[in-house]
Amino acid sequence: MENDKLMKNISTILTDDQINTDPEELYDAAADRYKKYAKARKVLDVPVPLAIVYPKSTEEVARLLAFCNENQINVIPRSGKTATEGGLENWKEQTIVIDALHLDKIIKIDEYNMQATVQAGVALQTLEDELNKVGLTTGHSPQSKPVAKYGGLVATRSIGQFSTLYGGIEDMVAGLECVFPDGHVSRIKNVSRRAGGPDIRHIAIGNEGTLCYITEVTVKVYRYFPDNNKFYGYLTEDIETGLKVLREVMVNGYRPSVARVYSEEDARQHFFHFYKGKCVLLFMAEGNKGIVEATSRGIEEAVDKFNEGIIEEVPSELIENWFVNLNWSQQDIDDEFEGMIENDSHDGFTTEISADWETIPKIYHNAIERIRKEYNRVHDLTMLGGHSSHSYINGTNMYFVYNYSINCAPEDEMRVYHHPLQKIIVEETLKLGGSMCHHHGIGKFRNEWSKDEHGTAFYMLEKLKKAFDPNGIMNFGTIYYQEEGAKYQK
Amino acid sequence: MKIICFVKLVPDVENFKYDYERNVLVRENVHQILNPEDCSALSVALKLKQENIDVQVETLTMGPEGCRPHLEDLIKRGVDRSILISDKSYVGSDTYVTSRIISRYLEREAFDWIFSGTHSIDGGTAHVPSQVAECLNIPQMGNILRINQAGLFSDRVRTEVDSEDAVLQFEIERPAILSFQYSTKIKLPYIKYEDLERDVSGQLEIVSNSRLRFCDTETGIAGSPTKVSQVEVDSFGRKDTRFLKCDDEGIEEVYQFLKQRGIVCS
Amino acid sequence: MKKVLIYIDPQAVKDSIDLLEAAEQIYGAGESLSYGIVPGTPPADVFGVFDKLISVSPDRAEGFDAAYIADSIEKLHRDFQFDAVLIPATVFGRMIAPRAAMRLQTGLVADVTEIRHHDEEIVMVRPAFSGRMLAGIVNRGGAPVMMSVRQNIFSYAGPRTKKTEEINFNPEPFRKPGIRYISSQPKPQDEDIRESNVLVSGGDGVTRYFDQLNELAEVLNGSVSASRKVVDRGAAPRHIQVGQSGKIVNPSLYIALGISGSIQHVVGIKNAENIIAVNPDRQAPICSLSNIVVEADAREFIPRIIKRIRKGEYK
Ligand SMILES: Cc1cc2nc3c(=O)[nH]c(=O)nc-3n(C[C@H](O)[C@H](O)[C@H](O)COP(=O)(O)OP(=O)(O)OC[C@H]3O[C@@H](n4cnc5c(N)ncnc54)[C@H](O)[C@@H]3O)c2cc1C
Ligand SMILES: Cc1cc2nc3c(=O)[nH]c(=O)nc-3n(C[C@H](O)[C@H](O)[C@H](O)COP(=O)(O)OP(=O)(O)OC[C@H]3O[C@@H](n4cnc5c(N)ncnc54)[C@H](O)[C@@H]3O)c2cc1C
Repeated sequence: MENDKLMKNISTILTDDQINTDPEELYDAAADRYKKYAKARKVLDVPVPLAIVYPKSTEEVARLLAFCNENQINVIPRSGKTATEGGLENWKEQTIVIDALHLDKIIKIDEYNMQATVQAGVALQTLEDELNKVGLTTGHSPQSKPVAKYGGLVATRSIGQFSTLYGGIEDMVAGLECVFPDGHVSRIKNVSRRAGGPDIRHIAIGNEGTLCYITEVTVKVYRYFPDNNKFYGYLTEDIETGLKVLREVMVNGYRPSVARVYSEEDARQHFFHFYKGKCVLLFMAEGNKGIVEATSRGIEEAVDKFNEGIIEEVPSELIENWFVNLNWSQQDIDDEFEGMIENDSHDGFTTEISADWETIPKIYHNAIERIRKEYNRVHDLTMLGGHSSHSYINGTNMYFVYNYSINCAPEDEMRVYHHPLQKIIVEETLKLGGSMCHHHGIGKFRNEWSKDEHGTAFYMLEKLKKAFDPNGIMNFGTIYYQEEGAKYQK
Repeated sequence: MKIICFVKLVPDVENFKYDYERNVLVRENVHQILNPEDCSALSVALKLKQENIDVQVETLTMGPEGCRPHLEDLIKRGVDRSILISDKSYVGSDTYVTSRIISRYLEREAFDWIFSGTHSIDGGTAHVPSQVAECLNIPQMGNILRINQAGLFSDRVRTEVDSEDAVLQFEIERPAILSFQYSTKIKLPYIKYEDLERDVSGQLEIVSNSRLRFCDTETGIAGSPTKVSQVEVDSFGRKDTRFLKCDDEGIEEVYQFLKQRGIVCS
Repeated sequence: MKKVLIYIDPQAVKDSIDLLEAAEQIYGAGESLSYGIVPGTPPADVFGVFDKLISVSPDRAEGFDAAYIADSIEKLHRDFQFDAVLIPATVFGRMIAPRAAMRLQTGLVADVTEIRHHDEEIVMVRPAFSGRMLAGIVNRGGAPVMMSVRQNIFSYAGPRTKKTEEINFNPEPFRKPGIRYISSQPKPQDEDIRESNVLVSGGDGVTRYFDQLNELAEVLNGSVSASRKVVDRGAAPRHIQVGQSGKIVNPSLYIALGISGSIQHVVGIKNAENIIAVNPDRQAPICSLSNIVVEADAREFIPRIIKRIRKGEYK
């Protein structure tokens, strides 16, 4: 279909003010934070979408999807725009971005049944603020909390900084509503638990806009006891000591909301004022008084058990102050953008992986060693390290963090720096059986390893795509590898 | 026209590491960067080269072989040839000896101009450009803000120099060493993607003592007339931060500090 | 009696006279004979403070021709055999000193800020690595001991009533000058904070009285800069923001008033040589990077330090 005709058709579904074709906004919509530097420097190499549209109801979403499905038009669902792995990047000449801007209502806060229902475009912070007023919390706190919205949070299987207590988004979603490419609307009901066949919530959760559009979400909510929070910090000899303490706390059944260990290099960028060149281990105990007390004891005991590797305790105010300032606002994101224009550099990139307790330190060291040995621009690295920030009874994650001076053209940055580094980390992770994508999703730049990530189970993912999105209109290139997109990848 | 640019590799202050136990500066495995003022100077030269086909740009570095990848990058950015003066016996040379080593290399080279930064961010003595100029018996000017590029092609070039309270203009005769100040307005060109993997080893030349022929007692720590006898980590040490109150005593101490650091005149 | 030659920079006469104090710290009060060398006509101030005075050809570019001065110093050294040569670390002093050292075949220490004595040796102390480090350096190469000396560090308070003897110095013309002085213009005023030597920087702790920073900046001859929070609140323009998304600055002194020192801010001051923080919270990250922390309300600090500096000037 011709572009003109296409736009005319869309305007029969939506009113003019729901259709945005402002060139700057379209440029902005062509990529997400994966290519943030190229974007800031105005050298993006991908096509811009034709329009950003703002449906006001589930019905409008359904009509838009059905229209695009019939006419083979690529659709990119969008909520808070904080995607980091290319989930919002556009690889097609004809693309419509469906933005949840007007799906912005908090539908219900149910204090008795401890759940809240929101539309996809409600920012996490908005719901959190509302809940705090009545002594409740979402328990969800990704660093992007002030900006990310529920549609995206669910679609990416996001996780928050208090995950060790509250879990990831998948532990919070009770039910949801989503729309499939053919216009079908599914509502998954909100119950405490059921054995009604496979848990179909997980088809929507984490689909990254490749199977359906999420329009509404019901999440569990929790009692909020901010005054009880207790913070702990320690300097440790090495990252292994930190990991051992984390494991000890977890396997003993304690659930601090925050449990982290930072390598020396990564600690430097967060705790330069007290880290003394060492690794930093930190905890936050949260919740009911009794629970906080028990958790605190559990932390102290675990630290005691591995005291040989512990160098000293850090005053808890230092940890608390740091934590209070951690989240990123829209201002921060805009500012980083300005910074990338002003200075030839940015904050660096990350790759987040996960594995069991035994394997995590191996992956960490193998990857770092291989980067140091093999990576051809290692002399440009200004920092390489990582931290573990989400622990489970059977393992933990590792967040690799790296900064580099950028000595190539802005448009080449990702293929010269981030991608080869990420490749080494992903390969080392998959080799030992870990997962290459702990919480940012696969997006478009890890899709070449989707098959390796899932192995024989990839069959199930492929079938889902064929079943729900037979025309392949949903977020072309995300999760599923596409030859056609390779030119934008490497 | 041939311009030789001095380029020094320096530890990145940001990644400056200190060994609290041994009380020494960690120099091994510390990320190195090109001295920022040298980059400004080299950028001017490369820009000139981009605009004029008959400009040839060479870099000259004295340092360990570990500098290699950085120098190869400079070639990929458009430098024609890169010279690395490197020899175990040169390690620990002070500015006096360094200048003599560099000068001995340059004595046999033809060039029209030498560009350099004024200071380096590590030692920051600003000695080497002046001392090399002295050895070669040519003029040198530091703290250059701008030059009149056309002049480079003639026998004299106009320069604007940042002095204490004024900007001074000078005319400098060829050949000379022009030492630039850091400028945010000009940057090195990017390395093109196609060039990243280009083999440029043929354009990088390592010059060792077998060519320059100093005897052992003339170079390195042994040959240097100055010697570092005491090292203290000052403000970054974090151990000696002074906490003061805003009373007469505290204010006086701040004042004395300002005086001692030359910020206020006595 | 030791003999010390001091270069008198016509652009910085007072700084040059102050080196007499450095000479006293090296050899003890009254233990050395001072020789001043000055290009052109000697300024009035130097009479009475130096023992001897040598003026070199007034027609050669007012001290801008470093090679010429270096040659003169060499020639004078041959005649007088100085024990030490001190040169103020001014822009041109720092071009003259290395050349002269080369001619005298002696080691040179740059930008000295302190003199110490250790085992009979003169230790010249200087900052390195953007002030992160102090190095004490000795000259082993024999006479003369040579250094350039940071301005405003030493202060000469000795007699100004000496009978200064002028020495006739008429060397053969040395090398032909390769440098010709053309003109001088005042420095442009609207300075980029990246070029300021002193920055008085305000954070959210002083947003509401951000104007008060101007006066402090004025007495310190510096500029005002700000953290992002102050810029966000509209109390300061964006072009004076320091930090990751602002400017990376290189002052020799950074005064952080009401700035907590988040990592994004401090990456902008990694090259600052000295930092003074004024902050009631001694655990604020900025304190760990500071030479001095004044644990106080900035509003109280600003007028008091201004008063003290003003008093110092006119004492
Ligand atoms: C500073 C910063 C910190 C971050 N910290 C964390 C963190 O701590 N934990 C974490 O998990 N992530 C983090 N992220 C990543 C990101 O915030 C999360 O992935 C977030 O869940 C994305 O939400 P969003 O609303 O911004 O989605 P968007 O960026 O708008 O979209 C993300 C993806 O979801 C799809 N999508 C969006 N809306 C819908 C919808 N309605 N239906 C179907 N698909 C949809 C998009 O197509 C895209 O693929 C961080 C990002 C930033 C910039
Ligand atoms: C991507 C990104 C980029 C950023 N870029 C920058 C940047 O370029 N520059 C930048 O500055 N920030 C930047 N930030 C923001 C940064 O994280 C901090 O939020 C900001 O630097 C804090 O500013 P502040 O220190 O003024 O305020 P605060 O952190 O609020 O600190 C105020 C301080 O003032 C003290 N104080 C309070 N009252 C008084 C008083 N009466 N007298 C003295 N002290 C007092 C307090 O104790 C506190 O330490 C960026 C953030 C992000 C995420």
